[in-house]
Amino acid sequence: MSDKRTMVESSGLEPTGGWSRRSILKGAAASAGLAAGSGAITGFPTIWAQNLKDVTLLQVGGSYSAIIDIARKASEDLGFKVEMQTADHAALLNRLVSQPESLDIADTEFFFLNYTVPRGIIQAIDLKKYKWWDQVVPIFTKGQYPDGREVSRQGINPYEVQYVEKPGDKTFAKGPTGWVTGIPTVYNADTLGLRPDLINRPIEHWHELLNPEFAGKTALVDVPQIGIMDAAMAIESGGDLKYADKGNMTKDEIDQTIEILIKAKKAGQFRAFWSTFDESVNLMASSEVVLQSMWSPAVTAVRARGIPCYYVPLKEGYRAWGSCIAPMAHLKGLKLDAAYEYLNWYQSGWQGAFIAKQGYYTSVPETAKKFMTENEWNYWYEGKPATKEIKDPYGNHIEDAGQVRDGGSFWERMGNIACWNTLMDENRYMIKRWNEFIAA
Amino acid sequence: MTLPERLIPYLQVLPLTLVLLLFLGVPLAIVVVVSFFDYDIVSVIPTFTFQNYIELFRSGLTYDLYLSTLKYALIVWAITLLIGFTVAYFLVFHVRSLLWQIALFLLCTVPFWTSNIIRMISWIPFLGLNGIFNQSLIALGIVDHPLAFLLFSDFAVVTTYVHLFTLFMIVPIFNAMARIDPAIIEAARDGGASGFRILTTIVIPLSKTGIALGSIFVIALVMGDFFVVKIMSGGQSGNVVFAMSNEIAMLQYPPAAASAVVLIVIVSLMVAAILKIVDVRRELAG
Amino acid sequence: MAEMRSGRRPWTFYALAAFFTLFVLFLYGPMSAIYILSFQGPNGGLTFPLNGVSLKWFYALFQQQRTGDIAGSFARSIALALIVLILTVVISVMAGLAFRRRFLGAGVIFYMAIASLIMPGLLVSLGIGLMFQFLGIGTNWYTSALGAHLTWTLPFGLLIMFAVFSRFNRAYEEAARDLGASDWAILWTIVLPILLPGMIAVALFGFTLSYDEFPRTSIAVGPSNTLPLEIWNMTTNVTSPALYAIGTVTTAVSFLVIALALGSIALIQRRRTRRVLQTSEGGR
Repeated sequence: MSDKRTMVESSGLEPTGGWSRRSILKGAAASAGLAAGSGAITGFPTIWAQNLKDVTLLQVGGSYSAIIDIARKASEDLGFKVEMQTADHAALLNRLVSQPESLDIADTEFFFLNYTVPRGIIQAIDLKKYKWWDQVVPIFTKGQYPDGREVSRQGINPYEVQYVEKPGDKTFAKGPTGWVTGIPTVYNADTLGLRPDLINRPIEHWHELLNPEFAGKTALVDVPQIGIMDAAMAIESGGDLKYADKGNMTKDEIDQTIEILIKAKKAGQFRAFWSTFDESVNLMASSEVVLQSMWSPAVTAVRARGIPCYYVPLKEGYRAWGSCIAPMAHLKGLKLDAAYEYLNWYQSGWQGAFIAKQGYYTSVPETAKKFMTENEWNYWYEGKPATKEIKDPYGNHIEDAGQVRDGGSFWERMGNIACWNTLMDENRYMIKRWNEFIAA
Repeated sequence: MTLPERLIPYLQVLPLTLVLLLFLGVPLAIVVVVSFFDYDIVSVIPTFTFQNYIELFRSGLTYDLYLSTLKYALIVWAITLLIGFTVAYFLVFHVRSLLWQIALFLLCTVPFWTSNIIRMISWIPFLGLNGIFNQSLIALGIVDHPLAFLLFSDFAVVTTYVHLFTLFMIVPIFNAMARIDPAIIEAARDGGASGFRILTTIVIPLSKTGIALGSIFVIALVMGDFFVVKIMSGGQSGNVVFAMSNEIAMLQYPPAAASAVVLIVIVSLMVAAILKIVDVRRELAG
Repeated sequence: MAEMRSGRRPWTFYALAAFFTLFVLFLYGPMSAIYILSFQGPNGGLTFPLNGVSLKWFYALFQQQRTGDIAGSFARSIALALIVLILTVVISVMAGLAFRRRFLGAGVIFYMAIASLIMPGLLVSLGIGLMFQFLGIGTNWYTSALGAHLTWTLPFGLLIMFAVFSRFNRAYEEAARDLGASDWAILWTIVLPILLPGMIAVALFGFTLSYDEFPRTSIAVGPSNTLPLEIWNMTTNVTSPALYAIGTVTTAVSFLVIALALGSIALIQRRRTRRVLQTSEGGR
């Protein structure tokens, strides 16, 4: 079989199907005219290597991002094997540090870069080989909104950890360079979720989370770094405290925040602190809480059960987070080429459309647009009312026609970021005090 | 092939030793060594410092967490002991046919084939405000509004522990009781002893190995757990390993390692205490 | 087993039977939520109310939908648990035999086993991962995860063996030896049969502990997850009643296996009794 293949290649005669496409592309890829248009769907792989198909890439990340369907589609389109494995944050980080060679693509949140780059665990990505950077949303490339305003620097703004001067650097560059630390893939703006049928008035400020009116019916997320920022948003919105940087609190600010939290906890403000996605969904769906920090797909999940749930845009803004993928430092040669293929495929639209239907944004919306129906695009990105029912990537009904996405369009949401998910300098102290708060 | 008599035990214990040395010894050694290291946000710094231990012992949080964990351990131990003993007693002494014994015993084990995590998640629809238990209570007229303390509370944590770990108490006690020679009991009864007397002077002393073992299992399991507490208390309670897992999630290895060493020492002491009362090892050589 | 005077049962029987029933209800209580919810309607979630009834989630188990790689991780977990079961029984029995005599290092090994029981799983996982990385071996569910599971199950196995041996009457062995049996024969025909209940207990613990194990596996699992890990990771994303379908399916399978096992035991017993009655005219 393989003999036949070599013969065919060297003779220039093509059998049917995939091989002929590849030989065309081999020449076409050399010419820069290969626009995303026709190439995006069938244009992979763009490099030609006989044993590329023997390569296997393993991507490990959170279950919201490392989705098996994406791996399957990638393997199909690219011709080599892509595998996904899920891991929770703690296990992932520890594995990255202790067994870096056990995976190929690190799929992590941006603030992980603060751990991985100084330790040389991942390698910088050459923007000359990655073709979508110009189309990436300026939040990541320039740290700005399209109108030129700077995106909030509170917390770990992806722009601050996006660039390095050259490969192998252990510190970040201050501005755009030709080398990036990770390709932004999945991100969103988080806020509070509520039960509009159980709360009879509009909620417009973060401080409602600590409002005694909802005592015993609120919940916070039990991840210290996130929970404390949601708390800080609530506290600052209530006017009790003004933070220099909610994403990087001083010891003093931490102390004051924890004090307020302990007082609220003792007064019975919180019903629970949820640590799994399902808990948040269950808490809301079973009416145990009416207002809580939530993730976007959780709101969708509650609604899919026929229970009203609203992801409320608040005046003070959203807490944003983002994930990126990066090749591990040990990749080289053929595997590294395959990795670049994969990175380019990742942003070519299919993955973007897939996660969009879960409520997440992709950093190259224009390619995703091609894989979404006009209805879906209008609903998820433009904030327009749906003309037909909206379904999730698995075909389940999420939203009826006529509904508008909570919070509106992409720029209405991502344009109002108050802070980013973070890793504080005083992280250790913060965790210690958070543990005290939990134990109180 | 006759091996020298002396060598046989060494060969027999070899697989155990190898596995333990390799898969436990190495991590344990690393943990002990790292507990004396220093660290910053980027890396772990190999030096020799007592800083981690000092901070551990100086912090009020440590004592709170240990108190909380010990509280759970003791309560769960007492309850599982009571339930485990009673169930084992019933199965051994009151169930007549061997087949029924096995059947009922296996009936108790079937829930264990379902993953722990699924069972834990299922407590929420069972104990929640809208859950089966509350709905039944309301339907039966026992209460008129759902009980909130059932879930996300100490009650929920203890209940879950009991649910998960009672089997570990039942099995050793069952084994121990099953070995009691029925003739002894017959003799005691013929001698006129009451059921209660038989219980306290014969059954309990003869099952003490089983009780000791079950206790060791349950205490070790509770002291070493973190995610039952995390989920069932709704994040409102902490325990030692949970705090440790937070530190590990932040790559703060030295204080986590120090915490682990202290935990191992403390629980080993508890186990040693149990073994002092019931010397399982000495009975071995007899 | 101790037998009460046949016929009349003392009141304690009924009291204890009631207690036992309550206990079984307690065990199966949350399971009932699982069984009911596994028939959850297509749009339903992990809690009540039931949004219609369907078999959708049972199908979902075998398709790799958003449920993650349930089928694959389930197969891995079962395979791993079986391997752990066998190894634990073999190693524990051998070690138990060893500990009957005095040998150098017995105390150290014993307390290492205890330490293995107590050591927080995350650190075991981390240590094993580091070790494999250092040695340049890839981690995998049948290597590093297997080792991690063994550190968890072997202490249980060892302690149970201790308990079993502690009531072991050496007289049988000595009698057999006096009659001229070889060491192997003694082992096979006398020691192991007596140990059998203990071995079954070890097997039971070995399997369940491995099947449920989570922290020790988490960092050292290699490129494919076991079932508890997969489930736990799915909890950061939309999960589905397919999880409950797993619970229902495993329960159904367990009941089936138990029914078969008990059925065959009953059959064997009946045949044995018949044979005994036949060979020794008039029975025992």
